[in-house]
Amino acid sequence: MSWEQIPGFLSQKDAHGETTVVVETERLVEAATYLRDEAGFDFLSDITPTDYLGWEQPRVAGYWGNRAGRDLNSPGSWGLAKQPEEKPKRFSISYHVLALREGAPRLRLQVWCDDGEPVPSVVTVWPTADWHEREAWDMMGISIDGHPNLERILMEEDWEGHPLRKDYPLGGEPVRFSGEE
Amino acid sequence: MTMAVVAEKRPAIYEGSRIPQPIPTVLLVDPKLREEGDILEVNFGPNHPSTHGVLRLVVELNGERVVGLKAVVGYLHTGFEKNMEQKSWWKAITYPERIDYLSFQINELVFVLAIEKLLEVEPPGKATWMRMLLSELSRIHSHLIWLGTSALELGAISLLWYCFRERDAVLDLFELVTGARMHTRYFQAGGLAEDIPPGFYSECRRFVDYMPARLDEYEALLSSQVIWLERTKGLGLLSAADAIALGQSGPVLRASGVDWDLRRDEPYLAYDQVDFRVPIYPNGDVYDRYKVHMDEMRESTRIVRQCLDGMPEGPWIVDDRKIVLPPRDELHTSMESLIHHFKLVTEGYRVPEGEVYVAVESARGELGCYVVSDGGPKPWRVKFRAPSFVALEATATCMSDALVADLIAIVGSLDTVMGEVDR
Amino acid sequence: MAVERRKRLADFGLNSERTLMRRKGPSVFERELGVEELEDKLMLTTVEKAVAWAQGNSIWPDTFGLACCAMEMIAIVSPRYDVARFGAEVFRSSPRQADLMIVSGRVSHKMAAPLRQVYDQMLEPKWVIAMGACASSGGMFSNYAILQGVDKIVAVDVHVPGCPPRPEALLEGIVRLQEKILAGVPPAYDIREVAS
Repeated sequence: MSWEQIPGFLSQKDAHGETTVVVETERLVEAATYLRDEAGFDFLSDITPTDYLGWEQPRVAGYWGNRAGRDLNSPGSWGLAKQPEEKPKRFSISYHVLALREGAPRLRLQVWCDDGEPVPSVVTVWPTADWHEREAWDMMGISIDGHPNLERILMEEDWEGHPLRKDYPLGGEPVRFSGEE
Repeated sequence: MTMAVVAEKRPAIYEGSRIPQPIPTVLLVDPKLREEGDILEVNFGPNHPSTHGVLRLVVELNGERVVGLKAVVGYLHTGFEKNMEQKSWWKAITYPERIDYLSFQINELVFVLAIEKLLEVEPPGKATWMRMLLSELSRIHSHLIWLGTSALELGAISLLWYCFRERDAVLDLFELVTGARMHTRYFQAGGLAEDIPPGFYSECRRFVDYMPARLDEYEALLSSQVIWLERTKGLGLLSAADAIALGQSGPVLRASGVDWDLRRDEPYLAYDQVDFRVPIYPNGDVYDRYKVHMDEMRESTRIVRQCLDGMPEGPWIVDDRKIVLPPRDELHTSMESLIHHFKLVTEGYRVPEGEVYVAVESARGELGCYVVSDGGPKPWRVKFRAPSFVALEATATCMSDALVADLIAIVGSLDTVMGEVDR
Repeated sequence: MAVERRKRLADFGLNSERTLMRRKGPSVFERELGVEELEDKLMLTTVEKAVAWAQGNSIWPDTFGLACCAMEMIAIVSPRYDVARFGAEVFRSSPRQADLMIVSGRVSHKMAAPLRQVYDQMLEPKWVIAMGACASSGGMFSNYAILQGVDKIVAVDVHVPGCPPRPEALLEGIVRLQEKILAGVPPAYDIREVAS
């Protein structure tokens, strides 16, 4: 079914049995309210931020090539070769909503933003978004506008950096073997 | 299937909601009370025998009554999601198990289902039914530990040993099938890692034969016992609409009267082919959550029995050599098998580009896994929607007008596992 | 007393895996401690032996379960793996009353401070068992969030490998610790440089 009537609708994609609707970031709260009240999606499952930094760069095995083209002679193309879909901005935030009725309809509401651009909070629409948005701030550095308590939740309060970003190192230390000096 | 609560139009925090304002997850002390009363701030710190792991609750007390509450989490943050981005799809399957370490096979299941959804492969019947069987055993395992530790915290200490006796029986079954007691890592994209060994079916059947009697023992110890009723009835109330607004799922939601179970309403694996009842209780207090857990254990035992009866024969993993290792005897004769084996072991299989969200009913509620793939051998982004993370958001709502002695009972009834909360 | 050949832990009645692999050289522990020092420290008087017997046979652990290993730690209290026969079934919630801290589970950087605080609140003599791969070395989580081995902040006596270690493995760790105590080996904070 088509979701064009959502306020701020930009695009819709159906894949693997799921529907992803992209809306304008400024009209997110309107879209969320519409989904909860008109369409009956009263259950917010999850808010997931994703960082697409480095998405277009070529991968290790040269699998599908890069913007300049695809090298058919490169090994490991497996027959699944496809260009990666271009992403509009660096971060996507996906809101997975569910309607608690027969058929369990699900929808993924998605907004895109760049580093530093704030995203409005949906805490007034679905109160459960509180901690999910705090985690988005803590882990990805997505500033949420209008959140009543935007503090770090998983890392310590004075931690610097946002760990799940692609430019944040994995950390850890090299393994030292006991025979070495 | 009747809905106990119909989604209706209502304002953000509706009339009669007990969700605190302005922050839904923090109970703030009334400023009047702060001036007149004698507020004591107590820290139920991360190391506490009764907080089910490393949860910190900053509680403000007025006498014995809880008037302010804030949950601080993150003491077990492990960086699963970032670690999984660095591993191949095959190796990354070991990570989700440690997230919810009580129902560990269900975590593996959700990640493997997400990979299979992106790969668009359908595992064979035997794998599906075995996964269902192991998920239900995981559910029983998780509820047994929950029951043992919750009862321990409320004073019914002997129940810990009974529950751990059964838990060891379940772990023996896991060891029989997979080789390890906990963190079995038995599911692969496409099916199971190995065939089911002989002798499992008879052992499992013996287990499901005596388990209902053991559950009757636990109920006999607790369900009508005066002290248990006093300590659990009428506490930690969460209304159905509040529960939905706070994103609760699983036993907490069902104990608040909402008729929702992902196994029945959004069937995955083969749950539409087995018969089970979904227990619903109307009151939304700690006692009802306990009853939901007990009934779920019974229903899980029934499902396990039906899985044993209905287990199809056949291969245990799909035959697609692009994803699954070829059988070893073929490596001597077929060049393609050798090459595929090499590529699969060194680089791993590639999952086509896309994003999926798969949700299953874990022992705690809706466990979701959001996977973004860039078409390569490693995941681009993996996120686990942990039900305990969301359950802890409801502590402030459940805790309004509670005594400090009830704090433990209520937090225990929300059945949180801190590994899941902090990931 | 002239030492003709190097004394090994086995000579002091300690059951180390070196006794199984006789050609292996001295362990890191023996090298750290130095053979003469070890001899000195392990010469016990009768009173010290009696005290060590009492301490070793009644090690009371502190409830420091963090993650998955905590489940197997609770399992050792169950009748099948009965830790009561070793005197250690009384899990004390207060660190002031506990002798042994079994760090069971992954230690994140946020948790490191409370862990050290609890360790400091324990009264001496105190022992630490690092249970599982995550407590011993960071385990499978070599990343920004997890402390790569709890021996960076506390002095560990026994490491028990496994993910999670079977309850029998943890019992073996407790038994080895008992042997160490009974032989008179001082707790780890007296030997190792880190923390104390």
